[in-house]
Formats: sequence, structure tokens, C-alpha cells
Amino acid sequence: MPTHDDDHGHAMATAQDDSPPGYYEIMETAVRELLVERTLIGPGEIRRQIEVLDSRTPALGAKVVGRARVDPDFRKRLLANGRTACEEEFGISFYDDTELIVLENTEKVHNLIVCTLCSCYPRPVLGLPPDWYKAKAYRARAVKEPRAVLTEFGTIIPDDVEIRVSDSTAAVRFLVLPRRPEGTENFSEEQLASLVTRDAMIGVVPVQIPTRSLS
Amino acid sequence: MTRTEDLVKRLPNDIGGLEAERIQQTDHELEPWEKRCHALADVLDFHKIINTEEKRRGVESLGAEMVGKLTYYERWIVTFANILFQKAILTPDELAEKMEEVAARHSKSSTQ
Amino acid sequence: MSKTSRGASKPSIHAVKPFGEQPSFKAGDSIKISIRYPVGHYRVPHYIRGKRGVVEAVIERAFVNNEEEGFGHNAGSLGYYYRVAIPLTELWPGYAGSSKDGLRIEVFETWLERN
Repeated sequence: MPTHDDDHGHAMATAQDDSPPGYYEIMETAVRELLVERTLIGPGEIRRQIEVLDSRTPALGAKVVGRARVDPDFRKRLLANGRTACEEEFGISFYDDTELIVLENTEKVHNLIVCTLCSCYPRPVLGLPPDWYKAKAYRARAVKEPRAVLTEFGTIIPDDVEIRVSDSTAAVRFLVLPRRPEGTENFSEEQLASLVTRDAMIGVVPVQIPTRSLS
Repeated sequence: MTRTEDLVKRLPNDIGGLEAERIQQTDHELEPWEKRCHALADVLDFHKIINTEEKRRGVESLGAEMVGKLTYYERWIVTFANILFQKAILTPDELAEKMEEVAARHSKSSTQ
Repeated sequence: MSKTSRGASKPSIHAVKPFGEQPSFKAGDSIKISIRYPVGHYRVPHYIRGKRGVVEAVIERAFVNNEEEGFGHNAGSLGYYYRVAIPLTELWPGYAGSSKDGLRIEVFETWLERN
């Protein structure tokens, strides 16, 4: 059912500035409008998909991790099939039709995710990836020198801990289930979730308890 | 001497293991058009007008120079245009004319 | 539909599966990544070609071959991807990290050979 879109679907940006659209923005607008005119895509579809994208943030992934920490049955299901567990527990749909494997960090294994060929990333549960994840340096080096890469993020992994780098090349996406920090034994599920950052679920940093500055 | 076949055999995005510099931990908030472009990609994939793998192939086809110099979403939108032409969904002239029309809207409104 | 009487042997079901419906490899299989150089689109990066590893898992659900999907092949014959484990020492001569460190990567059936 088409929504009542403003201006036939073309004034979609909240134009906060009056600078003229660049070449590529003009191209994007033109392609979109032509496709809508040809009824190949519906007038409200882009707007709706933007809402979908805006709703997928690292907070979702953190919620998944928080639940896994307090609910052993959920954790088991999550590790068995990440997509099904997220869909059933939280209604997180996998709009890109990818599968999800959740990789658990332990005292013996540290997981790290990358997409050397492009920018595959668990978008349904983490949102859009940061620029550095999509750029050459990370993609080229994560599979070759993961320990050096982790050091650049301030993360030192002892030599007796195995590093597993997962390179996404197909329809499977990965989410790291980072280790629960010490001192969180009495934390609630929400508190545990609030500690978990996007970068911890990529695997480049651990989950940390924020230090409070003593003033 | 570099053999040209290496250009054919190795895609510009196949960089795993190549030498690279320190990671610049940069990020930027998506411009509205970039977010619309991402949404467009998802919608094109749902309808299988351009599936995600076709988009990847299309970006590779831009060649090393464009892959290196265009930004992430710039690569996407040029790729969509190319593929839509290849599939005879749009013609280059149709897109060019529409782009002129879109560009003219802004200059028209800015003179009001 | 056949009914069997008690004591009679059940008729065997002979339902031959098409190519791709049955995974060719299973967890634990030693494999080698093929070496070939397709023109244009591929999803098996150069850095793993010819390398040896072990199948860690069959990815469950069969998929269209993504290298064909890249040319608009959206449906039809399906096959399996395998999550393959390859030690970093196998990939990079003189790898400086732990010898336990490894890569995990999904590879489509058409790129795997028994090792």
C-alpha cells in the first residue's frame, strides 16, 4: 500500500543544508525516481527500508549478548543457530537472508571477524559497519597479522590463546560473543548488555567495565 | 615486467594478505543520500532486480581506479546504473535526462 | 502409498537426490582449496587458493553458487558451503603469531578438493 510520500517521493532528504546535491546524489535520486515511475519499486519502499536500517544498531547485538549471559538455554540456541535464536527470541528479522554464526570467545579462543573481499557484516543485528571495517588496511591485514591489528585497537591476546579470524565470503555472517568481564557477577541483564560495544562484537576489543574517574 | 593477466586474474577488491598501512579508525555518519542508496540496494535485492552478489560483481567491474577513488556509496550508485543499463531496465539517456531534471530542481529552487 | 503387514520387510525407498542436495564433504574432512583463475567475478580470495585445511562444518542450508548469483542466477541448482579451518602458518610463510592461530572461511563446494 503506497504511503502518501511527500513530493512524489523525491524530496526525501531532511535537507538541513542548502548545498546543491553532488553528482552521485543526483544519480541516486534519478535512479530511485525512475524505478518508482516504472513501478519496479514502490514509492514507500525506500523510506521503509531506511526505517529498518535505523532500527538495526549495536544495541540489538548487545541485547542478544546480554540475554546469552543470563539465559543458558538461549545461549545454547544462539550458538547452535544464531539467526533462528535471534528471530525467535527477539523478532530480529534477517532482511538480507543471511545466516548468522555466533562465535564465542573463551579463555582459549579469541574470535575476530572481517570481510576481505568487500564489507560483509552482521547488519541485521549490528547495523551498518564503521568505515575502518570496510577500508583496505583492516581487510588486508586482519587475516595476515591479526595480533598486530588487535594491538592497534589496544587489545593484547596472550600467545597461548588461539586467534580465529572469520573471513565472510558467502551468505553467513558472524557475531562475536565476547567474554564477560570480571566483576560483573551481580550485574543485571540490562547492565551486562550496556557494557557490550560494537567493536567487542567485531572482536577487536574486549568488553570492559568503564572506569569511573575519581574527582 | 608486470604481466597484464594479473590484472584480470586478481580483482581490485581481493586484498586479503596484501601490504597495508595502520588502520585509521575512522567512521562517518551517513549522508541522507548514502542511506537512501543503502536502502535502495536492499530493496533492489528483495525484488531481485539487482541482487547483492550482482552488486558486488558490478563494483569489481568498475576497475581498480574507480574502486580506489570513488567512495563506498558512489561505487554502489554507479554500479546500479551500469547494471540497470545492462538489463535494459533503463537506458543511459533516460538516466542522464532524469539527472538533468533533478539537478535543475535544485538550481531552480535556490533562485526563488 | 504402500502398507506393510506385520513381519513383511518394508519396501525400500529409492529417491535419488539431485546433484547438490547432498553435501559432498563433512566436518573433519581434509581438503585443499582449488587453484584456478576465473575471469571476472569470484568469491574465493587468492590468499587461500591451493591451501590445505579441514572442514569444520557444513553450512546448513544449501545455497545458489554465489559466483553464478553474481551474474543474476537467483534460483535453481543449489549446493553447499563449508566452513573451512586453515592455520595461519599454512597461509603465511613465517607467520609470527601463535601456531594455533587460524582462519575460518566459507568456501563453496566447487572450490574444494579432497586432500
